[in-house]
Amino acid sequence: MEEVTATVVMEGAVVGPEVAEATTAEKKGFKVVVAVDDSENSHYALSWAIDNILANRREDCQLVVLHVQHFVETTFMYPVAGHAVYAPTLSMDAVRKAHEENSKRVISRAVDICKSKHVDALTAVAEGDPKDAICEAAEKLHADLLVVGSRGLGMIKRAFLGSVSDYLAHHAKCPVLIVKPPKGSHK
Amino acid sequence: MAEAKERTGTGKKRVMVAIEEHECSHYALEWTLLNLKPTISSPLLLITVQPFSPFTYVAAASYSSPPQELIQSMQEHQKQAALALLERAKEICAKHGVDVETITEMGEPKEVICQVAEQQNIELLVMGSHARGAVERFFLGSVSNYCVHHAKCPVLVVKQDSGKKN
Repeated sequence: MEEVTATVVMEGAVVGPEVAEATTAEKKGFKVVVAVDDSENSHYALSWAIDNILANRREDCQLVVLHVQHFVETTFMYPVAGHAVYAPTLSMDAVRKAHEENSKRVISRAVDICKSKHVDALTAVAEGDPKDAICEAAEKLHADLLVVGSRGLGMIKRAFLGSVSDYLAHHAKCPVLIVKPPKGSHK
Repeated sequence: MAEAKERTGTGKKRVMVAIEEHECSHYALEWTLLNLKPTISSPLLLITVQPFSPFTYVAAASYSSPPQELIQSMQEHQKQAALALLERAKEICAKHGVDVETITEMGEPKEVICQVAEQQNIELLVMGSHARGAVERFFLGSVSNYCVHHAKCPVLVVKQDSGKKN
């Protein structure tokens, strides 16, 4: 399992305590961490969490939007006569840049949702294998509740929950809320 | 953005909590009442499902059809146990000032919970999660696991963390 290599914290354009402070401070209020990715499901989950949990507890509820970036490979193996070839730094940078752009896009979309609902949110980005990274981040952030969308995979929708949400339901230390897409949108 | 403006609800949801024999479901109930009380639209539904299964064992053990009184007393006993669980859950809710409606069903717990959730238009299903000793971190509990997969509504799984106080 890949470890989280870095937890980069980006502060959204919000007013709020430093996430670093929040991690060490005593639990003051209810912290909800929503894990987002590119999917519609996770944005629906974020909206659901805001409308139904934060809206009712504005005073002491803190929302953290978390995105996990896929681990950027540092080496590529090209099967050229059995030798490993290290990828040229140029393409490495390009890949890394693409990942970061993607992250920024996902986060900014999530922050837009928060702003449109008048919610201040902290943002956090972690790198690594999504399942482990989200679990670790939730622990580090002392999350009181972890919210994830579920990835309904097309026709297998009833039988298969996204592996990330499933993993989190098993392994996260805090309560996990799995938000399914609304009825009627997935058939 | 269309999604940003879309409201996913009025903030109050129809919530159902599945009550089972384990301590974890009462813990889940308490957690929900403590943390999500404003989200719960009155009344909160509590469901407990009595499984059919014990009767098959009794039949096998008796080599033939078991005596009627035995079956009846077992059913009585189960019903009492379920009622006691619900009573305890109702007390917890009363302590937090939440109105409660109880549902008792018989059948396969995981299936019945999902069915009832659909029938009653439940918008949030809350379950405890069994932590079975050494495998606690790896085993969600078949009922919670099934419901997480099959319920159509959002599911909240509250794990009873033995090491951490609430």
